[in-house]
Amino acid sequence: MALLEAASTTPAALRRGTTTDPRRAERAARRRTRLQRLAIHAGSLSVLLLGWWLVTRTGLVRPLYLPPPGDVWDAFVRANTDHPVSAGSERIVRGEQNYYLWEHLLASLQRIAIGVGGGVLLGVPLGLLMGTTWLGVVLEPYLNFLRSLPPLAYIGLLIVWFGIGDTSKIWLLFLAAFPPVAMATISGVRGVREDQVNAVRSLGASRRQTLTAVVLPATLPEVLTGIRVATGFAWTTVVAAEIANGIPGIGGLAYLAGEQLRTPLVIASILVIGLAAIALDLGLKSLEKSLVPWRGKA
Amino acid sequence: MAELAPRGIAFEDVRHHFSVGGAAVPALGPVDLRIEPGELVTIAGPSGCGKTTLLRLLAGFLSPSEGEVTVGGRPVDGPAAERGVVFQQPTLFPWLSVRRNVELGPRLRGVDGPARRDAARRYLDLVGLAEFADHRPYELSGGMQQRCQIARVLANEPDIVLMDEPFGALDALTRERLQDELLAIWRSTGRTILFITHSVDEAVFLGSRVLVMSPRPGRIVLDERAVFTDHGERVPAEEIRALPEYVELREEVRRAIAA
Repeated sequence: MALLEAASTTPAALRRGTTTDPRRAERAARRRTRLQRLAIHAGSLSVLLLGWWLVTRTGLVRPLYLPPPGDVWDAFVRANTDHPVSAGSERIVRGEQNYYLWEHLLASLQRIAIGVGGGVLLGVPLGLLMGTTWLGVVLEPYLNFLRSLPPLAYIGLLIVWFGIGDTSKIWLLFLAAFPPVAMATISGVRGVREDQVNAVRSLGASRRQTLTAVVLPATLPEVLTGIRVATGFAWTTVVAAEIANGIPGIGGLAYLAGEQLRTPLVIASILVIGLAAIALDLGLKSLEKSLVPWRGKA
Repeated sequence: MAELAPRGIAFEDVRHHFSVGGAAVPALGPVDLRIEPGELVTIAGPSGCGKTTLLRLLAGFLSPSEGEVTVGGRPVDGPAAERGVVFQQPTLFPWLSVRRNVELGPRLRGVDGPARRDAARRYLDLVGLAEFADHRPYELSGGMQQRCQIARVLANEPDIVLMDEPFGALDALTRERLQDELLAIWRSTGRTILFITHSVDEAVFLGSRVLVMSPRPGRIVLDERAVFTDHGERVPAEEIRALPEYVELREEVRRAIAA
């Protein structure tokens, strides 16, 4: 800060000297810490895998309860390829349940995208309304009620209402995703600093301009956090959504494999669900970073 | 009472209460005050004396519990572009660049792009921030943010500029430089400025008229003309501060605050 202050008096000379070099040094330092962190993660993962392998190798645990890593990998490969239905058989089947694993994943991702998308489309405007009008007082208890329900509790009801197909699953994901988005929007709107609103009103903003020029952008960080929470919640709900007639679907596959005591496939599905969720969250996080670069700074 | 000039400000028997736990706590008043266009009125007083309440009433952020605040004869009814406000904390919008912050007022009023950019350039130049137009506010130091806020208010060309301890959080050097800049701006634009401060010296140095408010409920207990601002262009600040009249007024203000 002191450097910037000084730069106002002799700008060009100082800026050349001070703003480019520290930035490059900072980038290099960040790259170093990233490499270090990567090494730590790789190390802990190998220890975990080794431990897993050792436990199964020594025969301490029966493979039904914990199959060795190799079996899980085989299940993963089988689920992604055309393979004989059993050893020595002539009949070739496609993946698992006639879908490749990535098709199961894609089906779930689509449902989550529609559910969360609907949650955002309804949650953000509703949150804005609830945060700025008396509607908040009326609707907040219901929103809290809905938010605290475990999705498994009402999937049965949704199946009765919307049938066993995709509609009930998407409804479930939507109902899981929309309360966090709405709640985050409400808290974002209520958290807009009064002086920021006063400032823009004193610049001559109408009520509508106040909303678009200040309230919306000031709420954006919280909305994006809400979307992340909602997406995470939708992922945890996807198995519940796909318990009945969930094929194709990664949650449905995990559940079905469990029913059939095919533990390697269960674990492979779980790993795919977890990794996909992390990847999705990282994507949303970087979106957040590029959309609200001021987060935590102002 | 004398006829008020077109854009003059009047407080007529204004009182303001805040309700604290159901009880009405008097914060301000009664205040009777007239400010002519082009005055640079400084208001000093102990903290919690209602200076900010007075400013917020004039800004339109609050409505008086009793009495009336008028500008040019019309009652103040909410904030408006004619009354620009410089807040104690730089209230810049982090999602806009420095330039876009300064352009915001003209943009909201529908001024077209080139004229807007001209205004932004002019006022960023004036406060010495032209180099930083494309930075985000949070990349600037506190003093620079405050200058940016001042540029944003001035670029909107308000008749009246309300400043709430704008230099309070700044270091002494930055503060003196901004005081000089403010005087230069006041002389060149002829705006009416209401400037709140808790610094006796700042009040006497800047004001063309100095008001002192009593502790709660705030009333105006001293109202003196000051002429030191007029010397500014010819006489260095240190010499002004050494003038016997200056020292005398400062003592008078200090006594009024202590009383």
